[in-house]
Amino acid sequence: MDLNIRIAGEAGQGIKTTGHLLVDAFASMGLWVFSTQSYMSRIRGGLNWQDVRIADYPITSSREDADLLVALTAEALATLAEEVTEGGLILYDGNEAEGAVAIPFTDTAKQRGKAIMANSVAGGAVFTVLGYPLDPLTGYLDEVFQAKGEEVVQTNRDLVHRGAELASEHAGALQAPEPAGAPRTVYDGMEATALSAAVSGVKFVCAYPMTPSTGVFTWLAQHDEQYGIVVEQAEDEIAAVNMACGATYAGVPTLVTTSGGGLALMSEGISLAGMHELPVVIYLAQRPGPATGLPTRTGQGDLLFALRTGHGEFPRAIFAPGSPRQCHELMRRALETAHRWQTPVIFMTDQYLADLSLNMEPLDGSVRPIDRCIATDAGEGYRRYEITESGVSPRAIPGGDAFVVLDSDEHDETGHITENLEIAQAMMDKRLRKIDGMIAEALPPELYRDDDGAETLLICWGSTYLPCREAVDILRMRGISAAMLHFAQVWPLDRDAVRERIGSRGRVVCVEGNAWGQLAMILREQQLLGDAELLTRYDGLPLTAAEIADRVEG
Amino acid sequence: MRRLHSESPTWCPGCGNFSILRTLDSALDEAGIDRHRLVLVSGIGQAAKLPHYTRANVFNGLHGRALPAATAIKLANHGLEVLITSGDGDMYGEGGNHFIHAIRRNIGVKCFVHNNQVYGLTKGQASPTSDCGMQTPIQTHGVMLRPFNPLAIAIVEGTPFVARSLAVDRAHLQEMMVAALKHDGGFTLLDILQPCPSFNKRNTAKWYRERVRPIGDDHDPTDMHAALDLAMTWGDEIPIGIIYRKKGRPKLEDLNPVLANVPLVEQYAG
Repeated sequence: MDLNIRIAGEAGQGIKTTGHLLVDAFASMGLWVFSTQSYMSRIRGGLNWQDVRIADYPITSSREDADLLVALTAEALATLAEEVTEGGLILYDGNEAEGAVAIPFTDTAKQRGKAIMANSVAGGAVFTVLGYPLDPLTGYLDEVFQAKGEEVVQTNRDLVHRGAELASEHAGALQAPEPAGAPRTVYDGMEATALSAAVSGVKFVCAYPMTPSTGVFTWLAQHDEQYGIVVEQAEDEIAAVNMACGATYAGVPTLVTTSGGGLALMSEGISLAGMHELPVVIYLAQRPGPATGLPTRTGQGDLLFALRTGHGEFPRAIFAPGSPRQCHELMRRALETAHRWQTPVIFMTDQYLADLSLNMEPLDGSVRPIDRCIATDAGEGYRRYEITESGVSPRAIPGGDAFVVLDSDEHDETGHITENLEIAQAMMDKRLRKIDGMIAEALPPELYRDDDGAETLLICWGSTYLPCREAVDILRMRGISAAMLHFAQVWPLDRDAVRERIGSRGRVVCVEGNAWGQLAMILREQQLLGDAELLTRYDGLPLTAAEIADRVEG
Repeated sequence: MRRLHSESPTWCPGCGNFSILRTLDSALDEAGIDRHRLVLVSGIGQAAKLPHYTRANVFNGLHGRALPAATAIKLANHGLEVLITSGDGDMYGEGGNHFIHAIRRNIGVKCFVHNNQVYGLTKGQASPTSDCGMQTPIQTHGVMLRPFNPLAIAIVEGTPFVARSLAVDRAHLQEMMVAALKHDGGFTLLDILQPCPSFNKRNTAKWYRERVRPIGDDHDPTDMHAALDLAMTWGDEIPIGIIYRKKGRPKLEDLNPVLANVPLVEQYAG
């Protein structure tokens, strides 16, 4: 069984703190946890919430309804009460509320300590109505507040117990899942990505802050000395991408973080990386556009833009992980691909995936720098753009015996400017030849539950992976023969591998977080997709498993 | 197939860039710069082609974007000498934002700006430093915008080395280039006034020669107000020489603890 808890209120009320408290405490009990955030674009005020879904089986998606609503404001109560399930419960931070259990979390916290400790009172109340013992909660608080001294630890412990007392009339009111031996370690998509970048050898990070990409930028800045990373906040995104070109030229693996508007400003620089043949990797965390769009919401509207951005024709790869674990694996692969093929790579995620957290087996945190594929024997007569069969020329870095010459103009093998049109064509052909090798090692899309050759195929990419997978499980429980095909690498495509996996189906449904079905457009352009339906969502919220299943069932 | 060859300088006869190129070669030798440890960085424009015609590592990037690339090259390997050769359009126009922030960073790169007060590559439009009233195919009623003053901005923002020279005065230019190359205090700006015989009929070699005045020994380059006075002097008299020196500003590469021991690129274990 599963249960969804929604903590809602204004920004600045500590929703995230309470959410983290619950997520970590539940994970420490061995429950499966899946948590997502939804918040409006302001620092204070507005209606924000965090969902913490728990289960006795691994869960991979959020839910639209909630079994337990913790409303910290009257607005949260008024707006979200109707999304509480029948038989569900509402806890309200106050003295009186119709249809809700009123517990003054904040006032209670203020009497004993500070308002900010209201999350401990709420935690105690939540654990009580779920019928869980308080030990995991107090244990977690002990760990977190240890550094702040015994008094703070004791105050929080007391407040947890006070919260439990205030909720005691409703103890065990909700049936909650039993602990199921789930891993204790919790990751969100952002942390899984940033950790991977650090241990894979990223040495330089340059960015202009832009929600929802800033988390990775921040994480790397906070671990700069630990991993030996220079972090530079650029004056704008144009500077950021040109810095990345400079740093990779000088020989250090580099990451740029941004969102759609920033990518737009980087367009010319991405083209430069293609021309210079530099391993520039861009972490693109999407939010809905156009323009400023919905800055704190989620969406998958930038796939075609990522594929086309940058003038002229040059090779690129696009990765789109679907889970925190895939974020970890594919950030490394993005860096390796960029270095092996000396060309820009875009790693696409979005607000939903960056912020979602779940428990899983620990990720590999050992430092294993990637091979930069640098030619160490270059000397006199070195040619940076030597024509080769694979299209990849030996890449030396400045400071050694060879002069390394790069030009944004078309250039000859030595890197110097040329207007010789035969050379120009040979250089274009050399660069574009790299695509063949990139296709040969491209990740094929992943098929899920297709052992029996499912009648209905759900096609998705990036962050719709987990909800889509769970939707397939739901559909199969309902007796519908469904499978999923997920693209974690969107470009370039191994067309044979894709064609074989799409196969011949009764029904194909493309599930995407955008209006046009942008992956479907790419697949059609590649002549890989025949008749297919679109199942899209583009209101700023993520698709959920239940929604996908219901809409597929019709 | 039609063939075009342009592996030798494509500048117009009489272009100030020839003089700058020859002087730079001598200055690099005089300053004892190891060419293998030198990276010339440029954007786009006639000046930005210069790196192709000398021996060095070269990063020729995008229009206006030499500074961010140069900044990152220096941060990635601060053992390299990073020298930008760029024009007034590239540095003060398209790259104006980066110019301000490179000064704020005080990154240890050398910035030689070939300032001919006109756009040469695109055939004669106004640049950010064009004098008011200059007529061009676009500014048909004469330039109406006040010229950008790179030296004054650089001084006010705390650039530790600000100098000006004249392309056609090779002895003075070499002296300034060597002083700039030997300066080790961070961002180093040398603005080089440069005649453009094809497109700037106003600020000609003769016009500059009649006006430039070497700065005398009585000038204290550490005096910001005196430096600003010189930077704001333009017209009948144009001071050339070292205008401003500010001591004691740490370089960005010296402030970052990650760069305390060896250059970043040498820390890579893969």
